[in-house]
Amino acid sequence: MKKISIILFLIMLLSLTTVVANSMEITFWTHEDPNRTEIEERYIAEFEQENPGVTIKRVTSGSGQIQELVLTAFAANQGPDIFNMSIEDEYAYIVNERLSPVDYAACGYPSLQAIYDAYLPGVLDPVTYQGKLYGLPLELTNWCIYINKKIFREVGLDPEKDYPKTWEEMMEVSDKLAIREGEILKRRGFDFRYPYYLVSWIPMVEQLGGKLISDDGKTAIVNEDAWIKVLDYMKEWGPNGRNLGSPTYTNARKLFNMDNNDIAMCLSGLYQQGRIKADNPEFYESGEWMIVPFPIFENAVQDVPCAYYGHYYMVNGQKPVENQQMAWKFIAYMLSHPEEYLTKVNLIQPTKKLIESDTYRSIPYSDVFRDDMAKGHIVYYGANSAKIQSLIKEAIETVMLTDTSSSDALQTLKRKVQEVLEED
Amino acid sequence: MSKKKLIYSIERQKARWGWIFVAPSLIFFSLFSFYPIFTAFYTSLFKKKLLSLKPPDFIALGNYLYLLKSPDFWNSMRATIVFTLGTFIPILVFSLILAIFISSRKRFQNFLQLAYYSPAVLSSVVAAVIWLLIFDPRGLGNQWLNFLFRSPGVDHKWLANSIMVQLSTMLVYFWKYVGYFTIIFIVGLASIPQSIYEAAKIDGGNDWKNFWYITLPLLKPTTILVSIISMLQCLRTFSTQYLFTQGGAPLAPINVITLNIYHTAIRDHQIGRASAMSIILFIIMMLFTWIQFKTSRADEISY
Repeated sequence: MKKISIILFLIMLLSLTTVVANSMEITFWTHEDPNRTEIEERYIAEFEQENPGVTIKRVTSGSGQIQELVLTAFAANQGPDIFNMSIEDEYAYIVNERLSPVDYAACGYPSLQAIYDAYLPGVLDPVTYQGKLYGLPLELTNWCIYINKKIFREVGLDPEKDYPKTWEEMMEVSDKLAIREGEILKRRGFDFRYPYYLVSWIPMVEQLGGKLISDDGKTAIVNEDAWIKVLDYMKEWGPNGRNLGSPTYTNARKLFNMDNNDIAMCLSGLYQQGRIKADNPEFYESGEWMIVPFPIFENAVQDVPCAYYGHYYMVNGQKPVENQQMAWKFIAYMLSHPEEYLTKVNLIQPTKKLIESDTYRSIPYSDVFRDDMAKGHIVYYGANSAKIQSLIKEAIETVMLTDTSSSDALQTLKRKVQEVLEED
Repeated sequence: MSKKKLIYSIERQKARWGWIFVAPSLIFFSLFSFYPIFTAFYTSLFKKKLLSLKPPDFIALGNYLYLLKSPDFWNSMRATIVFTLGTFIPILVFSLILAIFISSRKRFQNFLQLAYYSPAVLSSVVAAVIWLLIFDPRGLGNQWLNFLFRSPGVDHKWLANSIMVQLSTMLVYFWKYVGYFTIIFIVGLASIPQSIYEAAKIDGGNDWKNFWYITLPLLKPTTILVSIISMLQCLRTFSTQYLFTQGGAPLAPINVITLNIYHTAIRDHQIGRASAMSIILFIIMMLFTWIQFKTSRADEISY
């Protein structure tokens, strides 16, 4: 009897071990996007059915919080299997060798070159490091100007003709569209995407011939005159100037969808269409909105539109090899639906096939984004790009909200960015 | 068995039970307070990047020397001192006034205590978010002040001016903690024996004299306790400044040390330098705690 019990116990233990050995949990951390959640939850269910024993645990966080969650998890060597962030935040993970290179076989490609061939030229450059590929793009996004046509007509402007083509016109048109009660703005014409200065503000400096970092990578803040002109522009834009907007007002992009007479123009990507549709279908269907290109300064020396940025899916290199392979297999499965990402979430996955497809061409105003993207460049990225962005934020917001002059703020910015470059 | 030996054994037994009761908190403190402090000090001696897997370089006091020469660090010291002085002094004065006011009421004492204490129960993040809405240019802050001063349309720039943003952070902290310290003062007031006031009444003392010659001197230990605790709380302030800067407020005026530590570690990945800053903050806080112990011992009162 005793012997039988021991044998039964051993069989139970063995079967339990087999079950545990065959099961695998892949943790997947990403930012909140209700439209994307809907389709990715379905991909997870389908993938789990095709791969018995594999469980994908998808966890979402706010787009402002995910950077620190992923960072602290990696610092404690407890990072998720899969994550995505903007390339400015992800690049530090590549150079610190925390990631698993793309497993082309697990992704279903015959070679690494086949992956490069499938995507638009250059879009995989930010995730290529020392000859290895470390990420696959969830989205490649640039921003253009969304316009509420009703508000334009209300102040006697024709949105199709009078939309701002230059930053000087942007100031004048915004002044006409603004409604003030004394010093308080009840309606803004346009307002910037304040924290994202590398994407949307550095191109304004570049239009006037300025640069963030010199070509040799050694000097910060090239052509100070250009920088001062754009900082002066922001000072004039802010509450101490013509009072057209400020970082302390509610995010313009969020208000735009509501169509409740708060904002006439905002800066956003193609994905905004999906969000308007979800938040306010009536406004989406009304046709009372349109999209125009990123403005340039009247005396611009080069036509630089908003920079584009990528969110890349990446895999934690500290996880077991089997997990890494399964993670790449799952990523490839999700990314095998680029048309659904485009039509349901308005995210552009920059494969040659998608960009040349009728589906892409049928998306309203996709040509505006495509044309701007063709003229633009990828956002500045480096191991310290997140820090540089927050130093630029500090300079702009100091100029807009305090009495500090543009040249003083620029000197402080230059000193700090130079220190960052030298530390590297 | 001699009498001396018996007493010694009873004392040893009591001491053993004492150790047993204290042990859980000692273990807890060792794990969650002492160990992180030692680790932070150790880390502060290295040039360590948060994401790097390479062994960090030992630079001895290099991080401390860097901080002492850094204008940003000294700006953080300034911001912390301004915030601490600007917050703990009003908290001390008003919580004492409120405590005397509440203690002197015959009715609604419990209701008033609850009303003033309730903001302290809220999380700092929730409190900061509520005040962010109030300080929005179209929010209640401007509406209230403009109604009060009959100045329609004036934007008081709660978050959009370097002086106002400092005042705004102080206002949030004051609102959140004044009730908490009022309760401590009420307890201190209740511990003063009524017989002293009765004796003073026989000697012809009025309320004003009673306050200056009885209440305030006998409340001295509570006052010192409140001032030190509130000062330490102010030195550790973080969430209000963090959320306000996320909401678009300029960083430099309110870049307190804790916020600088956060940015240095999380944004810049410089965990060694951030640890050095936290050790400096720890030393400042230890200094104030030491002052508290010294002064409170000198002012022990028995009735």
